[in-house]
Amino acid sequence: MISDISIGQYYTGNSFLHKMDARMKFILVFALLVFVFLCKSFFSLALMVVFTIFAVLVSKVPLKMILKSIKPLFIIILFTAVLNIFYTTGGTTYFEWHSLKLTEKGINTAIFMAVRIIVLVVISSLLTYTTTPTLLTDAIERLLSPLTVFHIKVHTLAMMMTLALRFIPTLVEEIERIMNAQKARGAELETGGLIARSKALIPIFVPLMVSSFRRAYELAFAMTCRCYTGGEGRTRMKQMKLKPRDFIAALFVSALLAGVIVLNHFFKAVI
Amino acid sequence: MTPAVEVRNLTHYYLKGTENQVAAINKINLCVEKGETLGIIGHTGSGKSTLIAHFNGLLKPDEGEVLVDGKNIFESKETLRQSRFKVGLCFQYPEYQLFEETVFRDIAFGPKNMKLPQDEIERRVLTAAGMAGVKKENLNKSPFDLSGGEKRRAAIAGVMSMEPQVLVLDEPAAGLDPAGRRELINMIKNYRTATGCTVIIVSHSMEDIASVADRVCVLNKAEIAMLGTPKEVYSRDEELREMGLNVPEITKIFLTLRKRGLDVPEVFTVDEALAAFRNLTKGGGNQ
Repeated sequence: MISDISIGQYYTGNSFLHKMDARMKFILVFALLVFVFLCKSFFSLALMVVFTIFAVLVSKVPLKMILKSIKPLFIIILFTAVLNIFYTTGGTTYFEWHSLKLTEKGINTAIFMAVRIIVLVVISSLLTYTTTPTLLTDAIERLLSPLTVFHIKVHTLAMMMTLALRFIPTLVEEIERIMNAQKARGAELETGGLIARSKALIPIFVPLMVSSFRRAYELAFAMTCRCYTGGEGRTRMKQMKLKPRDFIAALFVSALLAGVIVLNHFFKAVI
Repeated sequence: MTPAVEVRNLTHYYLKGTENQVAAINKINLCVEKGETLGIIGHTGSGKSTLIAHFNGLLKPDEGEVLVDGKNIFESKETLRQSRFKVGLCFQYPEYQLFEETVFRDIAFGPKNMKLPQDEIERRVLTAAGMAGVKKENLNKSPFDLSGGEKRRAAIAGVMSMEPQVLVLDEPAAGLDPAGRRELINMIKNYRTATGCTVIIVSHSMEDIASVADRVCVLNKAEIAMLGTPKEVYSRDEELREMGLNVPEITKIFLTLRKRGLDVPEVFTVDEALAAFRNLTKGGGNQ
């Protein structure tokens, strides 16, 4: 159950998307997330969907993995869609019952919302599937580096993110180990009311906290021993370089933006 | 007599249903008799820890069954719960599971979960602490103020206090210095003579197993490779070496002496070796 978490999961591959510069991927994904909300007509939305499917195919990430990233959000998607059906009104009314109204605009909004969320999730999970967590935080560090002007320690933030991601699987393993040990002493974790259950968490979380602090100290020692002093004057073994393929991708996404704007302009806005 | 723990045809897969599916243990049949001390040895990844996690139902077998005291533990919720108390499982590095404010309360965690009356809990805590060698003055301290070895003892006492019929210890001496190791092995021996309980010890260390176990079970590649008295198992030293295991150093020396034509018995501990040498010189042999 705990090991089902798929945040920051990387899918090993060698596709065009895998080889792209992480910084460019980050910027383009951000741009795409904005484009999804620019779509106003069915045609521009369809263009976005087609592009997303195309990106999935290019990444060579199996469809099963993509579906796995949408699955946990299924209820949220359904909830938003249902809310939008009844809360947005306008256009032809199909059905009315007390204060509930089913209108054309409501249905359109619901469809748009559902599709937008799915596209959002798929595109951002493509980013994590094709980029290793290390490269991802590296990219964030580079992209945020202008902020050092305001005395924000970007390197420290990025290092913290890398370490946090690195320790998720370790902590999951640790929790399972401690849970087993306490279960062996007769702890009941899955029965009882809310209070009993939260009380049952104490024997899990106290040792977890203790060992997390121990790990943090050990890690800090190990880093100090290897002369880690923060970001100042630090160079890198692997330099990030923009290659032609990154510009091709950027061009492609720009063309997509143009397409969305043109389609929005020529076809009726439905929401 | 019904065996203390019996597993029949036990199989457990990891990553079940994916293409990486592997059997952590494969069709294992094992009977642990009441009152005996069984040593389980095996290379890293041979399935030792997976096997013992079935003894109290922490892991559910994919095939086969586990019987504690002649009863299938997965029969109902109640039998499963009872098996947790009948089979006391103490994991590797148990000191990392301490959590209570005082050592006393931590040792009392198991008995408290058994819903025993307060005076019985107290009696059990004091008995277990005595057997595990937890000092009286430490009982009211926070477990986090103890030294590493003391924490280990307190954690083992936390399992002993449930007074299980079978005590399972996974690498109880891991990470201790030689003196601590010896003390711990002696503590287990004393526990056994005092309670007459069945004890199962998982270890890498051939020396430790040789000095306490009545029988030794060797796991290799998810299956039982050997099962017998230490004498029977350790005489097959070449096979053991192929499995990445080793017989005790002293046994190795004596086996070599034998091959050279010296008439010496098989020994597993230094004390036995010393006695054997004394016998040899007494008998007039002066090679």
